[in-house]
Amino acid sequence: MELLNEISALVQKGKAKDVKVLVQQAIDQGVPAEQILEEGMLSAMGIVGEKFQKNEIFVPEMLVAARAMNAGVELLKPLLISSDVKAKGRVCIGTVQGDLHDIGKNLVRMMLEGKGLEVVDLGTDVAPATFVEKAIEHDCQVICCSALLTTTMGVMRDVVKAAEEAGIRNKVKIMVGGAPVTDAFCKQIGADAYTPDAASAADVAVSFCQA
Amino acid sequence: MTSYERVLKALRHQEADRVPFDLGGSVLTGINVHAYKALRKFLGLPETPVSLMDYTQQLARVEDDVINYLKVDVRGVDPAPVAEAPLRTETKLSRDGRYNEFYDEIGIGWRMPAAGGHYFDMFSHPLKDAEELEALDAWHLPAGDDPSRFPTMKQRADRYVNDEKRAYILGRHAAGIWELALWTSGFEKHFMDMVANKEFSHALMRKITDNKLEYWQKALDTVGSNVLIVSEADDLATQNSQLCSVELYREMVSPYHKELFTFIKQRARHNGAPEVYIFYHTCGSMLPFADDLHREGVDILNPVQVSAKDMDSKRLKKELGDRFTFWGGGVDTQSVLPRGTPRQVREEVKRRIDDFAPGGGFVFAAVHNVQSDVPPENYMAMWEALQEFGVYR
Repeated sequence: MELLNEISALVQKGKAKDVKVLVQQAIDQGVPAEQILEEGMLSAMGIVGEKFQKNEIFVPEMLVAARAMNAGVELLKPLLISSDVKAKGRVCIGTVQGDLHDIGKNLVRMMLEGKGLEVVDLGTDVAPATFVEKAIEHDCQVICCSALLTTTMGVMRDVVKAAEEAGIRNKVKIMVGGAPVTDAFCKQIGADAYTPDAASAADVAVSFCQA
Repeated sequence: MTSYERVLKALRHQEADRVPFDLGGSVLTGINVHAYKALRKFLGLPETPVSLMDYTQQLARVEDDVINYLKVDVRGVDPAPVAEAPLRTETKLSRDGRYNEFYDEIGIGWRMPAAGGHYFDMFSHPLKDAEELEALDAWHLPAGDDPSRFPTMKQRADRYVNDEKRAYILGRHAAGIWELALWTSGFEKHFMDMVANKEFSHALMRKITDNKLEYWQKALDTVGSNVLIVSEADDLATQNSQLCSVELYREMVSPYHKELFTFIKQRARHNGAPEVYIFYHTCGSMLPFADDLHREGVDILNPVQVSAKDMDSKRLKKELGDRFTFWGGGVDTQSVLPRGTPRQVREEVKRRIDDFAPGGGFVFAAVHNVQSDVPPENYMAMWEALQEFGVYR
């Protein structure tokens, strides 16, 4: 559909105001909200994520695209709720206790949202028990932990332990990321996946939610 | 050969008697206060009331006994905090008791976890809601050349050069131009402004650059002719990638760098300095920006994050070694220095020296500040390897 392609192009360019206008037009023309979301927004963010992964675009371009998507989603939200469209999965995310660096975490959140997942953002300096509590409260399928520091990444091990102790380990996947984190570390602490960048984190989270 | 001569040779891309060594010469080649105390104890040096050279990063001011013991070739000359700063606050416990918090002289809020915190991170940005230029005008920036910043600068510079025969790095009064734009706006806002509100982004970069020009003029005039190394910074890259495209950098950041670095060099020469070198800090995979940095007048790269993408020491020396001095890169600080065995540290140091040292153009320092989790055994394994392999024959 021409209009949805146009919306997708504008999302990719980060033109928030124009996206709003065209999304409203699509709604007024009776295009189902779910279709606008899928073909106008999420397809655009898929392309943005791919380009970001290939270093064809960078953080500034990705941020404006995410902002443009959110501008459109705001208009769609009430319609999606009333037509009972469910998110593709639910994920909670935060930086681990003692770590206040959230730039990477925020990029991952945007890419998760760009895949149509619902994200419960727990913010920074999140205690292991809080990750688990919130995952239970919001019925999340995935917990995403971020750490920038070599001195805080060890807390991720405690998140895995806390999930085990709460008896939710078989229901919740735990993903880890951040500058010093490696695949070997992920395996060592018994987490489920390490991803090196925001776009691949989103892909893996989707696959966990759909499993 | 004096330390000063050793550093000068390195900067001129000549081999000295050995590779010069920096610890604590800048807020980017320093050591965390806990790691520093452990190191003193390990060396059998007396307990002292260690002061901080950088509060937010919790970096120790490296004392003379350690400087002499470790044969450090470089000192740091930093400005004092400005006396009058209406936006600045003392550090206080947050209302919920979880953080120690303060606001700095330009209104950025910083916090550190009260229990087990490592250093302060930003939580509040004075320009986070500023969209119009008027809001920018209302933001108060203490003058870069305020006299309270410079009380003992000249004495320290002279003492290091004349009495100790060491080189010094003349320090900044604030973070880099682009960093300050990102920090005052909040990263996400300013990154977006660079694409979607360019007028505001440029105006903010202009205001910060003007403030820096004030500072550098006064600082360079204060120290006079013995300045050799001037420190500036702007992180441009991440471990796997860059923070923005080279094209966007050229449009939105590079012109301000070029203006500032050109001014610094001209002013230093005007004050009688025979040669002056721009020490530039950017973490991450910065190779794509190297040509631009060279054009801007950068001479020295720091911290040389050898573990980042396309940043291996051998490749860097080959591709950039004729144009830049590497100041750092001596040992990986993300895995090897904190978590390796002393033997692994030694092997890593040997390898980096083998790659970087030939022909000069190398000052040994770890990749960025030594963090709190670095055992003194590993730090000294690094130092001993430097003594052994960092000799020019």
